Amino acid sequence: MTQTTTARQGNGSDKGIFSNTAGFSTLITVTVLSLAWLAGFASRLFAVIRFESIIHEFDPWFNYRSTAYMVEHGFYNFLNWFDERAWYPLGRIVGGTVYPGLMITSGTIHWILHTLNIPIHIRDICVFLAPVFSGLTAIATYLLTSELWSRGAGLFAACFIAIIPGYSSRSVAGSYDNEGIAIFALQFTYYLWLKSLKNGSVFWSICTALSYFYMVSAWGGYVFIINLIPLHVFLLLIMGRFSQRLFVSYTVFYIVGLLMSMQIPFVGFQPIRTSEHMAASGVFALLMAIGALKYLHSLNPKGQWKQLLILGGLAAAGAVFLAVVLLTYAGVIAPWSGRFYSLWDTTYAKIHIPIIASVSEHQPTTWSSFFFDLHVLVCTFPVGLWYCIKHINDERVFVALYALSAVYFAGVMVRLMLTLTPVVCVLAGIAFSILCDLVLREEELPTQQDETEESKSLYDKAGKLKKRTHEQPAPVDPGLGMNVRSVTLILIMILLMLFSVHCTWATSNAYSSPSIVLASYGNDGTRKILDDFREAYGWLSQNTAEDARVMSWWDYGYQIAGMGNRTTLVDNNTWNNSHIALVGKAMASNESAAYDIMTMLDVDYVLVIFGGAIGYSGDDINKFIWMVRIAEGEHPKDIHEADYFTERGEYRVDSEASKTMLNCLMYKLSYYRYDSGGSPPGYDRTRGALPGNRGFKLTYLEEAYTTEHWLVRIYRVKKPDEFNRPRLPLAKRTVPTSNTISKKHALGGGPMTTKRRKGMLKNKPTVVKGKKAVKLE
Amino acid sequence: MSKIKMLPAMAKLRISFVFLLYILIKCESANVDSISSDIRLKNVDRLVDISSQLVKITSKITLENTGASPVKNFLIAIEESAKNNVAFVGAKDSNNKDLKLVETTVKGYEYVRFWRVELKDAINSGATPLVTVETVFTKALLPYPTAITQQEDQLVKYIGNLYTYSPYYITSMKTSVVLNTKSVETFTKVKPFTQQDGMIQYGPYPNLKPFSEKELLIHYKNNAPFLTVTRVERLIEVSHWGNIAVEEVIEIEHTGAKLKGPFSRYDYQQDHHSGPASVRSYKTLLPAAASDVYYRDTNGNISTSNMKVKKDSVELDLRPRYPLFGGWRTHYTLGYNVPSYEYLYQSGSDYLLKMRIVDHIFDDMQVDEVVTKIILPEGSTSVKVNLPYPVTRLPDSLHFTYLDTKGRPVISFSKKNIVENHIQDFQLRYTFPRLLMLQEPLLVVGFLFALFLCVIVYVRLDFSIHKSEHPHKE
Repeated sequence: MTQTTTARQGNGSDKGIFSNTAGFSTLITVTVLSLAWLAGFASRLFAVIRFESIIHEFDPWFNYRSTAYMVEHGFYNFLNWFDERAWYPLGRIVGGTVYPGLMITSGTIHWILHTLNIPIHIRDICVFLAPVFSGLTAIATYLLTSELWSRGAGLFAACFIAIIPGYSSRSVAGSYDNEGIAIFALQFTYYLWLKSLKNGSVFWSICTALSYFYMVSAWGGYVFIINLIPLHVFLLLIMGRFSQRLFVSYTVFYIVGLLMSMQIPFVGFQPIRTSEHMAASGVFALLMAIGALKYLHSLNPKGQWKQLLILGGLAAAGAVFLAVVLLTYAGVIAPWSGRFYSLWDTTYAKIHIPIIASVSEHQPTTWSSFFFDLHVLVCTFPVGLWYCIKHINDERVFVALYALSAVYFAGVMVRLMLTLTPVVCVLAGIAFSILCDLVLREEELPTQQDETEESKSLYDKAGKLKKRTHEQPAPVDPGLGMNVRSVTLILIMILLMLFSVHCTWATSNAYSSPSIVLASYGNDGTRKILDDFREAYGWLSQNTAEDARVMSWWDYGYQIAGMGNRTTLVDNNTWNNSHIALVGKAMASNESAAYDIMTMLDVDYVLVIFGGAIGYSGDDINKFIWMVRIAEGEHPKDIHEADYFTERGEYRVDSEASKTMLNCLMYKLSYYRYDSGGSPPGYDRTRGALPGNRGFKLTYLEEAYTTEHWLVRIYRVKKPDEFNRPRLPLAKRTVPTSNTISKKHALGGGPMTTKRRKGMLKNKPTVVKGKKAVKLE
Repeated sequence: MSKIKMLPAMAKLRISFVFLLYILIKCESANVDSISSDIRLKNVDRLVDISSQLVKITSKITLENTGASPVKNFLIAIEESAKNNVAFVGAKDSNNKDLKLVETTVKGYEYVRFWRVELKDAINSGATPLVTVETVFTKALLPYPTAITQQEDQLVKYIGNLYTYSPYYITSMKTSVVLNTKSVETFTKVKPFTQQDGMIQYGPYPNLKPFSEKELLIHYKNNAPFLTVTRVERLIEVSHWGNIAVEEVIEIEHTGAKLKGPFSRYDYQQDHHSGPASVRSYKTLLPAAASDVYYRDTNGNISTSNMKVKKDSVELDLRPRYPLFGGWRTHYTLGYNVPSYEYLYQSGSDYLLKMRIVDHIFDDMQVDEVVTKIILPEGSTSVKVNLPYPVTRLPDSLHFTYLDTKGRPVISFSKKNIVENHIQDFQLRYTFPRLLMLQEPLLVVGFLFALFLCVIVYVRLDFSIHKSEHPHKE
C-alpha cells in the first residue's frame, strides 16, 4: 500500500523511491519489445525451416519479380517498365500499376547491404522482409497503445501483435506481400496522427503525412486511413471537441498527405477525382469553415455567435456534401469502384463482378475464423473498447472508430481481418493492462507493478488523465480479496499462455505451408515433397521458346512469369475482365472452339493444374465453375453456366456429368490419358469419382509435359499444319519436296508456318498480332 | 599506407601475368616439327570405345627406330575431319607414367593437328618401346535419326578412321570397336573383321602408308546419356579461417536425338523402359571432405536428390526437376564446402592452393566451356598460377563480400571442350601477410565500439532545441 501511494505521488513531482524508474522502465520496455520482435520473427520462420528460403503463394511472385527487376535495372527503369510478358498481347505498364513501396523498401535494404559489402541475395531480403517488419509493427503498436492508454498496455499490445495469427497469416517468411509492410505503416501513421493531434504541432503532422505517404506507396489499404482520420475529425467536430490542435494537425496532414500521395504513379489524381477520397476533402473544407467561424466567434465572444456557429457549421457541411454529390453526377469525380461497393453490399460482387467473388479471400468471414485468427483477444477487446469509451478523450474517439469500422470490414471480407487485427491487439492490450492493474495492485510483484504504475505516471505527464487514474482504483480496491486476485491472475496467465500456444500452432499449421511446395507424410513420418509446380515452371523456362505464350487460369499467371519466365495471357492483377473471360471461355468451350480462341490469342502452350492423382483440392477443375461464370458474364451467348451442371444441378465429373462438361477443353486437358491414380485406374482422388469421358484423343493439342504427380499438365497447341493433314496419295507426295529451299530457310520455324497459316486461316492471326503491337507502341 | 603498398604489388602481379601469357603463347604456337622418317610403328593395337557419348580411342603403339641416331620424341596426328572434336590427347609409357605432350605443327600438313610426345628415354636404334596414346573426342557421335519419339531407342552414327592416322609407316595394326550393344544397324565391312558381343574387331591390316585413311562407319543403338554441359562456372572461394567454398553453376543440355511428338507421363510412368534415351538422374562425385552440399536453381532447392557419403568421395545422385529428353535443357547450382587444410599449403606468409580446375559432374562428361574463378582472401598478393594444360586466362577482377574494404582478388580462366581426363589440379601460389587476419575482427570490434560510443554520447548529451520540462521525458 505504501509503495503504491509513493509511486502515485511521484506522478506529479517525478520523485519517489524509484528515482531512476525512467531508466528502469526503459530497460524493461526495450527488453520486452526486442523479445516481441524476436518472437514475432522466429514464429514466422516455420516455412523457411521446414522447406527453404523461397517466395511462396501467388502474388508475391510478381512482387519478387519486379523487385528483382528494380534491383537489376534501377528505380527509374522500374517505373518505366513495360512488361511484355504479362497480359499478352496487351502488356502491362508495371511502374504505373503497382504500389512500389514494397519493392523500394527491399531494394533500399538491398542497396544498403551491398554498399556495406554484404552480398545478400535479393530473394532472401524479400523472404525475410515481412518477419522483420512484424517487429517494427510491434513497436508501432506499442507506441500507438501507449499514446492511447499506458506503456504497460502498449507492451501487451506489442506482444499480441507480434504473434497473433491474424497478422502472421500475411507476414510469414516468404509471403512477400504488400500487407507485410503496410500494417506497420498503418499503425505508425495512426500513432503519429494521435501524436500530432495531442501536440497540435506541425512537425508531427508532417511526420504523419510522411508515414501516410509510405503507406500509400505500399498498399491500396491506405484508403482506410484517408477515410478513418477524416471520420475521426468529423466526429470530434460533432462532439464539439474542435481545437486549434485538431485544426493544425488535420489541415497540415491533409494537404501534405494529399500532395505526396499523388506522387505515386498508380494513385495519380485519384485523391481528388474519386469518391473514395472525397470524405477527406469534405472534412477539410468543413474544418476550414468551422475554423473561420470560430475565428469570427473569437472576435466577439458574446452575442448570438453560438447559434451562428452551429448553423454555419451545418450549412457548410451540407454545402460540402452537395458539392461532392453534384461533382460526382457531373462526372468530375468518379463514383465508387466495384471493390469498394462490395464492402457495403456484400452481394454486389457476386452479382456484378464474379472475378472478385471468385477469390476465396474476398468471401465473408465466418465466426470460427475470427476466433482462429484472434483467439482470446476477440473476447477481450470489447473490454478495452468499453474502457476507452468510458474514459473518452480525443484519441480514444479515434480508436473506438477504428475498432468499429475494422470489425465491420472484417465481417465483410476474410482478407480485411488484417485491418482488424492491430486494433484488436491495441484494445486487448488495454483490457489486459487494466485487469493486471486491478489484480496486481497489492501483490508483491514490484517489477510488474512499477512498470504499470510507472507507465501510468508517464502517461499522466503527457495526457490529462490524472484524475481518472486516481478515481479508478478507489471503487474497485476493497471489492477484491487476496484469493480472488490470485485466482484471476492465474486465469489470466493461463489464458495468455493458451493464446500464445494457439498463435504458434496456427502460424505453424495453417499459415506456414508454402503453396508451391506440397509435402505429404508417410506412415513412418517420412516426408515426401511434391515439387510439381517448380518442376513444371522449370520445364517451361528451359524447354520452350523464349517468347512462348502460355495460357492458364489467372491464378498461375504471376508464377509462370516469375518462375517460368514466359509470357502469360492473364495473371493475378485482374484488371482486364474481358481478357480473363476470354481465357475462361477457351477453357469452357470444346476443343475446336477453344482452338479458334487460342489461335486468336497466339497461344503456344496451355497449362492446367490437375490434382486428381494426389488429391489436391485447389485444382482447375474445382475452380472451373468460376471460369464458366466469368466467361458467361462476358459471353452470355456462348457459355451457359447451367450447361456444366447435371440436370439436378450437381457439379460432377463422372459419367453422369453433362455433355458440355465432359467435352470442354478444361476437362479434356485435365483427364487426357489419365489412367494412373487410385485403385481403379484413372480414379480421380480429389473428386472421388471415375471420370466420365476417358480414352479420348486430342486433335489440336498435344501433351508437352506432365509433372511427376500429374499436378501440372502442359499442352502444346499444334500449328495448323500439324493436324488434319489431308492424306495425299503416294504419287502426289513428291510435290512438297520441291519446297526444300524454303524449308532450309525456315528451319521448321516462322516463315513457313505463317505461309501455310495464311492459306488456311485467311490471314487472321498475323494481322491481329501486327495491329495490336502497332497500336500499343 | 596500404594503397601505396598495394601499387607495386599489383604491378608485379600484372607483369607476372603477362609473362605467363607470353610463355603460354610461345608454347602453343611457336613449335614447328618435322616428321622423322626413322620412326615406324611396328604394331598398333587400337581400341575405339563408342559405348558412351564420347569417342575414346586408346592405342597401344609399339615404336621402332629404324634409323641410326636415337630419337627423343615422336608425333601424334589427328585427321582433319576430327580435329575440331578432339578434347584430350595423352600418352603414357610402358610404366604407366604420363609423358609430356606439346601441340605442334608440321610444314606442309597445316590441316592436320600434331602433338609431340617427349619420351623419357630416347629410342635407340632398333629399340621397340611401347607407348599408350589416349585420345578423347566429343560430339563425334551423331544421332541418326536426329529426332525420335519418346518410346524409340536412340541410334547414333560414328564416322571415323579405320586405320591409325599417323605420320609414320605402320607395319601392322588392329582396331577393336566397343559398342556395348548387339543392335547395330550397319557398319563398315573391311576384311578381316569379326563381330561379337557388342564388339567389332578389324584387322590386322599390314603395311599402311603414313596418313592413310579409310572411312569407318558404324550406325548403332546407343542409349547412354548424351548430356552436354554447355557451361560450368566454378567458383572457389578461399578463406583462411579454415574453409574453402566451392560453387558450380552448371548448364546441361541433352544433345542426343531430339524428342519428336508429345511427352506422355502415362507411358513414362507405366513402363520403366519408356524413354530409353532420356536421362532421369546422374551421379556427381564430390571430394570426400565435402560438406554442406546444396543443389538448387533460380527457383530454389531441387528436392529430388540424394547424397551418399562414401569412403573416398561424396556421391550425389542428382535428379533434375524433370527427366531430360533430347533437346531439353536444365541448369542448376551445386555448392559445397571443403576444409582448407586439404588443399591449402602454407609456409610463413606464402600459400599454395592445389585444387581441381574442373570437377566430376557425371561419368563420361563432355563440357563445352568451363570458367574457373578463384577468390583469394583480401590482401593476397603476387599470385602465380601453375596449370597442367593451356587455358585462356581471363582478366583479374575484384570481389567484395562480408567485411571487405578493398576487395578480394579474383583469378579466373576458361577452357573449352573438356572431358574427364581434364580433371587435374592447378597450383596457385600467393602471399598473404598473416597480420591481415586481424583486420576483419578489428573491423567488427571497431564498428561496435563506435556504435556504443555514439549511443553513450547521445544519451548523455541533450540535443533538444528548447529545454524540456521533464528531464526524463520518454
